[in-house]
Amino acid sequence: MNTFIVTVDGFSISFGNTQVIDNLSFKVKRGETFGLLGSNGSGKTTIIRTLLGIYIPTAGSLTIDGEPFDVSGDIKLGYLPEERGLYKKEKVLDVMIYFGKLKGLSADEARDWSLGYLSKVELADKANTKIDKLSGGQQQKIQLGITIMGNPELLILDEPTKGFDPINRRLLMDIVEQHQSKGATVIFITHQMEEVERLCDRILLLKNGQAAAYGSVQEVRKKFGGKNLDSIFIEIYGGRDDA
Amino acid sequence: MHNLGTVFEFEVIRTLKKKTFWITALSFPLIMFAVFGIILLSNQATEDAVKDMEKQQFTAFTLDESGLIDSNLIAAMDIKSVESRALGISAVEQGKIDAFFYYPKDLSKGIEIYGKDVGIFQNGRYDTVARIILDESVGRTIDSNTKTAISGNTNAKFTIYKDGQIYDPIKQMIAPGLFLVLFYFLIAMFGNQAVTSTTEEKENRVIEMLLTTVQARTVIIGKIFALVVLAILQAILFIAPVAIGYAFLHNQLALPSLDLSSIPFDWARISMATLIFSASFMLFIGLLVAIGAATPTAKEASSFIGIVMILIFGPLYAASLFISSPEQPIVQFMSYFPLTAPIPLLLRNAAGTISIPEVMIALAILSFTAVIVIRIAVRIFRFGALEYSRKLSFREILSRR
Repeated sequence: MNTFIVTVDGFSISFGNTQVIDNLSFKVKRGETFGLLGSNGSGKTTIIRTLLGIYIPTAGSLTIDGEPFDVSGDIKLGYLPEERGLYKKEKVLDVMIYFGKLKGLSADEARDWSLGYLSKVELADKANTKIDKLSGGQQQKIQLGITIMGNPELLILDEPTKGFDPINRRLLMDIVEQHQSKGATVIFITHQMEEVERLCDRILLLKNGQAAAYGSVQEVRKKFGGKNLDSIFIEIYGGRDDA
Repeated sequence: MHNLGTVFEFEVIRTLKKKTFWITALSFPLIMFAVFGIILLSNQATEDAVKDMEKQQFTAFTLDESGLIDSNLIAAMDIKSVESRALGISAVEQGKIDAFFYYPKDLSKGIEIYGKDVGIFQNGRYDTVARIILDESVGRTIDSNTKTAISGNTNAKFTIYKDGQIYDPIKQMIAPGLFLVLFYFLIAMFGNQAVTSTTEEKENRVIEMLLTTVQARTVIIGKIFALVVLAILQAILFIAPVAIGYAFLHNQLALPSLDLSSIPFDWARISMATLIFSASFMLFIGLLVAIGAATPTAKEASSFIGIVMILIFGPLYAASLFISSPEQPIVQFMSYFPLTAPIPLLLRNAAGTISIPEVMIALAILSFTAVIVIRIAVRIFRFGALEYSRKLSFREILSRR
């Protein structure tokens, strides 16, 4: 089995005349939690979308388990995109069962798992409620549930705590840690340095489409004179957006 | 494609749960029932009025200058003749009698009827009686054949032969022509549903999660299969109540009897119609799904539906040409150009103005185009997935690898 589950090699992508990522290379080890950090518009989401075949790279290769991502391949993926959304007019349980079946569970397995998850996140009474009747935070919990359904071996979470209150943020962290402990690889895209310090083994800080820092959290801190990640972030980006 | 069944089931069930589906599906039969009901009530009211009129008796005078009125007949009806038109009119004016009928010398000028008001509908009784008197009087002086010939009610029975067999071109069109009607209804009623089936994922922002869970091709083909099944269900919902209504109420509604045994079933033409219908339906559903995938919202997509409808139904304006002059270049062009082909092909097939080899060529073009359009719809759905706020250009769709 390959040590690295994700390999990005010489990856570049541009939209029109805008070069978003320029000759970027990095690897994600199997079983680690990897933080993809950067200011708004630095290209974090673009890397993930290209890795998952939604965008086509201008140059370079992006592979999962040595192959370009294919939804019908063997890898069990859980992806929480930055753009949140579900079938608004459908009931919570129906949508969860649908995605569960798409992920290879039987209808009964998907139902049982969904009901268990809804209890865990205190939404059991919303199982037969239409999605558009839920609050933004509740919808986000449902989407997180769909993401982790089927025990994915690779979890990609794009700003998962966006819109969560501190209690739900803690709940999400616990869920991520549970999957870490089961051996799942987690790629975490966030602005929250507290989350990074708590969860991530290694990180990549993006600036102008290139790696401004890459390595374990300790290595990166050491490189920047032992500063905490918040200070490093401010130093790299100078308080300005790349976009 | 192993998730095709899951996508198909989800799409069918969630559409069946939508009120709009049932409103659309049931509106046509409900309107038909309402129309049937009005006809039924109206027929009943007319029948009652006629019966009422038959029972009614009223006093009347006549003056016949045409020489056609049978004096014995009017005597039997207890109607008296008067000396002059003025006397008759005056008697009605003064309320001495209910009506006065004046038959002028030159009947082309029309019968003059004067009557006492008995209500807007009941006043019609005078006209009925005046005409009956004239018809009966004339009918007594001529034989029944002459009467039939003069009345213009002579029936003509056609027997047309084709290849030595009795042939009825109109009846021959009925069975294959039903596919044309079905195509028209389904596209007109289902076009919007096809478009919104793909814009919905974009508008809900669920597409990114979906495309990393299941192949775009599986989603699109699952949606198209679901639309086909829903279209068939809608067709049944259209036809069944009307057929049931006809079967049980055609006598009360005074509808003509439909003798199904007299309708010829030319299985070659029906098979052709089935194939043309299927390929055309797949092509246009694919096209509408592609439009939905290429546009950011259902609202924007709706402006393109009009263009598709013009392409499909525009050829109806040249319908007579398809039957009378199938060799015309414009007919040939519209029959082979896939976006205009469904109506000319279905109509010409029903009328028998297209040969089997011509149908085969047109079918090959239609089917090939349907496959290409569905493949393009998949590409648009995949690459246009994240275009939440703008339309994808055709160049962009083709340029992406």
